[in-house]
Amino acid sequence: MAQASLVFITGGVRSGKSSFAERKAIEIAKETGKQLIYLATGVPSDSEMIERIQKHQLDRRSGEYSWKTMEQSIRIGELAPQLHNQDIILLDCVTTLLNNELFSSECKWDGLFLDAVKEKIISGIMSINNRAGTLIVVSNELLFEPVSESNLVLMYSRILGQIHQYLVNEADQAFLVEAGIPIVMKGMSR
Amino acid sequence: MHFVTGGAFNGKRAWVNKTYCVKGPEVWLSAYHDIPLPEQLKDNDQDVIILEGIELWLKELTMNHEASRCRDIWNQCLHYWLSWESGKEDRQLIVIGTDITKGIVPMERENRLWRDVTGWAYQDIAAQSEKVDVIWYGLNQTIKKRGAY
Repeated sequence: MAQASLVFITGGVRSGKSSFAERKAIEIAKETGKQLIYLATGVPSDSEMIERIQKHQLDRRSGEYSWKTMEQSIRIGELAPQLHNQDIILLDCVTTLLNNELFSSECKWDGLFLDAVKEKIISGIMSINNRAGTLIVVSNELLFEPVSESNLVLMYSRILGQIHQYLVNEADQAFLVEAGIPIVMKGMSR
Repeated sequence: MHFVTGGAFNGKRAWVNKTYCVKGPEVWLSAYHDIPLPEQLKDNDQDVIILEGIELWLKELTMNHEASRCRDIWNQCLHYWLSWESGKEDRQLIVIGTDITKGIVPMERENRLWRDVTGWAYQDIAAQSEKVDVIWYGLNQTIKKRGAY
């Protein structure tokens, strides 16, 4: 396959990582003429969030390339059978997915539960990657401040870090977006 | 001295293990295992010593001293560590510190002090290191390399 199969993109809040991910997806669509799919993970919790989601949807619909939106807030791997092998998938973002998995369950946050959540997210992403032409995964940089003494935050940070390490290792390309500028961390710049 | 930094849970320890083919646990002096700040490194048979979790030692310093004193103590440690390293050929000191400086300004005065001192201490150690690597989810970026080309 000529196009990159897995692309990993992170950045801080409002770093422009999502815009970059969308541009990247569109670029691949231009080259291949394949379907763009936006994999929405957000569960709107208030009216501000609903507005934000609607704005994003409008942006994606009004562009030159039309996106198909699929919604899946947990058990992301269940979408895999619906995908076609040339689709260009944008998954935004891993931290939302992680939050959804953690807070949708009544389970106690112990090592066993957290490892299961981590495995579920990684295997879900990889099964989507196996079905799709290109999967672009967006996540947040959250690990650069003192890890709180709260055990919950520590456990959360650990599995997020482990998921990121796994994805960077699997990725054909990885980018860190700083102030709107994508920095190539792995693979060739396109 | 090789300074290795990067965010929490970014795979710094695994990278050092892989890069230096570290064998036993005896060469590790880790703040995460409640080892106190080793001001002096004793002469022993080890050629490689790895100091891990320096941000916690710096936090400890800030709990007992004001900022400029912390930095003096830190630079004193760097001096002793470098003299251990240069005491014998083939000795290598690797120091790992988690980057805690890129979040929101902490609410509490003591956490602001900790973060400030950590930033300064990292500048000091980087300035005195032969090599500095930043680890990002298992990938390294060498941001400083002195001497050997």
